[in-house]
Amino acid sequence: MRTLLKNSLLALSLLSTSLAFSADLPSGDTVASNINKRDEGVSVSRLLTMEMTDKRGKNRVRETRGFRKYYGDEKRTVIFYLSPKNIKDTAFLTYDYPDADRDDDQWLYLPAMRKVRRISASDRGDYFLGTDFTFEDIKLETRVSLKDYTFKTLGESEVDGKHCIILESTPKSKKIAKELGYSRVEQCIDDEIWMARESKMWDVKGKPLKTIHVHDIRQIDKLWTTHTMEVKNHKTGHNTKFTFSDVSYEKSVSDSLFSQKSIKRGL
Amino acid sequence: MKNQNIVTTAILLATLNPAFAAEIEFSGIANTELSSSIDGGDSDALTISVLPEWVVRFDNGWKLNSTLRLRADVLDHLYPNAISRDAVSNVSKSALLSDHTEIEMREFFLEGEFKNSYLTIGKQQIVWGQSDGLKVLDIVNPQSFNEFILDNYESSRIPLWALNVEQTWGDWDMQFIWIPDKTYHSLPKQGAPFAFSSHEIVPVAPSGVNVQLNDADRPNRFLADSDAGLKASTFIGGWDISFNYLYQYNNLAVLYQDISLLPSGPLVTVSQEYERTHVIGGTFSNAFGDVVVRGELGYFTDHYFISESIAERGISDSPEFNYVLGLDWTGITDVFISGQLFQSWITDYNSSIVRDQVDTTLTFFYRQDFMYETLEAEVLVIANLNNGDGLIRPKISYEWTNEFKTWLGFDVLYGDDDGLYGQFSDNNRLVVGMEISF
Repeated sequence: MRTLLKNSLLALSLLSTSLAFSADLPSGDTVASNINKRDEGVSVSRLLTMEMTDKRGKNRVRETRGFRKYYGDEKRTVIFYLSPKNIKDTAFLTYDYPDADRDDDQWLYLPAMRKVRRISASDRGDYFLGTDFTFEDIKLETRVSLKDYTFKTLGESEVDGKHCIILESTPKSKKIAKELGYSRVEQCIDDEIWMARESKMWDVKGKPLKTIHVHDIRQIDKLWTTHTMEVKNHKTGHNTKFTFSDVSYEKSVSDSLFSQKSIKRGL
Repeated sequence: MKNQNIVTTAILLATLNPAFAAEIEFSGIANTELSSSIDGGDSDALTISVLPEWVVRFDNGWKLNSTLRLRADVLDHLYPNAISRDAVSNVSKSALLSDHTEIEMREFFLEGEFKNSYLTIGKQQIVWGQSDGLKVLDIVNPQSFNEFILDNYESSRIPLWALNVEQTWGDWDMQFIWIPDKTYHSLPKQGAPFAFSSHEIVPVAPSGVNVQLNDADRPNRFLADSDAGLKASTFIGGWDISFNYLYQYNNLAVLYQDISLLPSGPLVTVSQEYERTHVIGGTFSNAFGDVVVRGELGYFTDHYFISESIAERGISDSPEFNYVLGLDWTGITDVFISGQLFQSWITDYNSSIVRDQVDTTLTFFYRQDFMYETLEAEVLVIANLNNGDGLIRPKISYEWTNEFKTWLGFDVLYGDDDGLYGQFSDNNRLVVGMEISF
């Protein structure tokens, strides 16, 4: 009884502290807006190493070269697989439109077929080529989808010694939740640089799904840049680590890279 | 082979010259596949292939790609003795190391930008079309039918010496191809496990009639007998669209039949000749929610069909429409389902043609990925509605590591002997394979 009373008082105390903090916190929409306003440069070129490890310790590593470029509010992304041999020359191209009603256009080049295939953008909740990131995660990178979620700030916290605001994102409908594979996302947003340092996702049944931990954030060409992202899937025990290197926002990125002929030719 | 030597020498000289600094990447694949007949047929085979690949990257952005293929059939049922080499030009022929083993320059091409064009010069594969499994416009390169259509696309497509020029004109990507290489479909010899016997493909002589099969009369004029084509493609309003034109020799020789009466009895002389056709066609694809719609159409001005008319030398010539409409559905996570309707329509049909005027084939494909795409299960079903025959191919594959993969599958062909698939209904087989990449 004494313990229960103590816990209740502690809970009340925390709640009141949280409420007090919430009153001073920016709204969820403001945080989301600040995240998306962060300067990502017009274009970027980078190497990405994907390391996937299953619960038994089986490890697979893939090397890619990726490019991203903004055309106004339209974003185009292309990823070329460099190794290993069994997936080399596979390439993935996305056109992400600012119009919320317009689906993205996506293509996948499969070297075994030597054909560029149109793929459905509604696969966005599917896992991207054997990783723990979904197609949507890959597309958004460090941003959030304003058209899919409603946002709310829950409080403050700290990750890797950095102060952050806890942002809760809830899909606007069950249909969207099903498409994305998430019923809820909770992110720790570093309010100095407006980047997520940690993201937790819950599946459509409300069970913990995965946690993404972002570290080694530093400036490249004066832009804050993620260098390592680690995701742990709590349901499968599978892990994925993305390591970015040779990042450049100033290197010229040709428009012709973002085309079907380019993903067919490869790098 | 002379062309190969010239290009090879040029590259060696270039790499020795410091002004043309280059870096060389080496990789490769080795695989082996055991096929075991499951109904007493003759389709047992054990094939081993090694494909080393070199990519030389020059400082000016050009690349030289070369891939060799060393292939052996340990059981000697499929390769290389069982397949006719007559349809392959001398510059594209493989070298036979023994009755069981061959080595082939699969691909050897230079590619890079020159002014406003992107050039690909050398032995290469040029792939058109949107369909899976069955081909409408993917006919630029001929195909080896050593294992009917059971071999994978990459392995069965025969690369050709060609010039491929790509340019961008506004919103359109233009492709011009010129193919001086006179290589056509490679067919298994009579008696081989996958030799064609369907009446729709090869003429059948009545019993007691002698048959003489003459060598193929292959086109041999360097320029006049070249194939050439043009593709214009664009992305507009969410649609991927292409228009294609190809002037080529039909990849399948036309089997003209002449009957003569000799003292020893009637004799049918079969002459294999290659005939020209114009191919005009196009493709489209778009995504609507979970569904991708895709299709392609090809109009052939001259296709040649086995006929019962002696006056026509056993062949009827007609234009033909080939078209396919496909739907891909990805509404369930990690599941890919695809269906296709494929039709061939002989526009100038006459009753002596052995085949039906409209030939309809349906395909169904289901694939599901498990364990982060390391385990993959799939089944392909092809069903021809005219002959009631078809093919069922369940397969399961597992990627043990980045470099090691294994698979197990069945190739089940069913139906009447006259059907394209039914003719091989005695060749049902279990297939086990493994692949190592390096």
